[in-house]
Amino acid sequence: MRRAWAPSWLLALMTLVLVLSFMGSLALGEVRVPPSEVLAVLMGRGEGLARTVVLDFRLPRALVGMAVGAGLAASGVLMQSFFRNPLASPGLLGVSTGGALGAVTALALGWASNSVFALPAASIAGAFLATFAVMALAKREASAEHLLLAGVALNALFGAATSFILNLTAGQFEVTGQIVFWMLGGLENRTWAHVWMVLPGTIVGCLMLLPYGRALNLLSLGEQGAQSLGVNVRRLQWEIIALSTILTALATAVGGVIGFVGLVVPHILRLGFGPDHRRLLPLSMLGGAAFILACDLITRFLPGELRLGVVTALLGGPFFLWMLRRPS
Amino acid sequence: MIRAENITLGTRLLDVSLHLPKGSLTAVVGPNGAGKSTLLLVLAGLLKAQGSIAWMGEDLNHITFPERGRRLAWVGQDLSAEFAFPVREVVAQGRHAFGDDGAFVAGAMQAMDIAHLADRAVTRLSGGERRRTFLARALATDAKIQLWDEPTANLDVRHGLDVLQLAAKLRDEGRAVLISLHDLRAALCFDQVLVLDRGRLAASGKPDAVLNADLIQRVFGVKAHMGQEMILELP
Repeated sequence: MRRAWAPSWLLALMTLVLVLSFMGSLALGEVRVPPSEVLAVLMGRGEGLARTVVLDFRLPRALVGMAVGAGLAASGVLMQSFFRNPLASPGLLGVSTGGALGAVTALALGWASNSVFALPAASIAGAFLATFAVMALAKREASAEHLLLAGVALNALFGAATSFILNLTAGQFEVTGQIVFWMLGGLENRTWAHVWMVLPGTIVGCLMLLPYGRALNLLSLGEQGAQSLGVNVRRLQWEIIALSTILTALATAVGGVIGFVGLVVPHILRLGFGPDHRRLLPLSMLGGAAFILACDLITRFLPGELRLGVVTALLGGPFFLWMLRRPS
Repeated sequence: MIRAENITLGTRLLDVSLHLPKGSLTAVVGPNGAGKSTLLLVLAGLLKAQGSIAWMGEDLNHITFPERGRRLAWVGQDLSAEFAFPVREVVAQGRHAFGDDGAFVAGAMQAMDIAHLADRAVTRLSGGERRRTFLARALATDAKIQLWDEPTANLDVRHGLDVLQLAAKLRDEGRAVLISLHDLRAALCFDQVLVLDRGRLAASGKPDAVLNADLIQRVFGVKAHMGQEMILELP
């Protein structure tokens, strides 16, 4: 009870899972690089094809994937606590599609080629638009049905807007290709530029979140109760909504719409290790990163170059349906 | 301990003034929609209203959030819980503003007769057990002011009496306790009764002076027959 963080063995275990999936994503693929050689390259040795494959292709891809997974899972935990609803998550509430719409707009208007910050900035703007819309449509403590219906409407609306932009850019093949990339979500061709776009912000955001565990525990059992026990609820809510939106937007800016991560990862960890946010937050960050890396590995081995967003949806969709059927 | 003057909130509360002295046990009664829960929320600083409120002689607006958590405990009527926190952790949340987890938690669970449920998830409790858990969380704060909104609703006879007896004990320890109630007979045992009617304070004072047949007829629209009654008490 007195511990502020998760028990160390649990964190160590989750870190081990993450390290294994990280090594896997550096070693496995069309070109196999033995783990010993991966380590050599990471140490600054190694040469030839292995070095190029690991350093120029797989390492940035893995780092982007980890940032995306950690950010989305943490964002899911925050939204579930904010809305007091285990079904809330950036994908279902339309925040991811809002971010994607922002990114796609920046691409279509050519802003993205002017500055590396244009894309994440537009994505953050789109995600905030979605967050405020969902907050206005489904007031806090609204029923789960209300919240999810608001998300359905927003997802449809932003999806339609994105398709509209896609139509407008027909003929500009490069732009169209990038837009489709954002709509399906993936980690292909991620470069070091993407790493710098997402990783520092995600690390800072996640570190800022860790001390919120206790307050989130109180908030998730009711905001008036939390305030009566000494939490400045209004400030806390603004802070977590801002952080969760920014984390989702950063993830979307580099990976497109990758659904169900913020829903599935916190939910499984909550089932296994309880709802205490002091534990759940760090575990979800590590677990989300590992989950994305594992799903990305699946895309490399399934035929037809399946997209990452498709894999997470294929795994997460049935899980979500199972959650809906379960008596609470 | 707590003093409120000219509290007005739309049409939900109209010009309510009251004083809860140290070591007092006060009941708020009134028909549904009279503003009992709203009054408790306003007094607890959880809902903004016009008028002035002071806790222990200090203007509420000047008291920081953690200090509020240390001085006053509030238990609302909303018992929903979506996340499966164990009962013990919920009760320990009462210590949030103090930054410790241990003190008063075991005693509070004992007092609310939920020690045997300590490891059970709140999501798996009955309505009454859940209410006792949230009451225990308020007790664990050890706050000098306790505001409980219908704490005896969904409790069985035994646990309902437990709660009222505990409230009397807290009063004897020098705290100010304010409880909203529907049971007018229970209110007769309090030090002070506030009668709310459509947002206004219809009457206040000693229960035997306030809760007469005339007022009950006027506020609740029912005839009250004083006298013959069944009295329940703890063994």
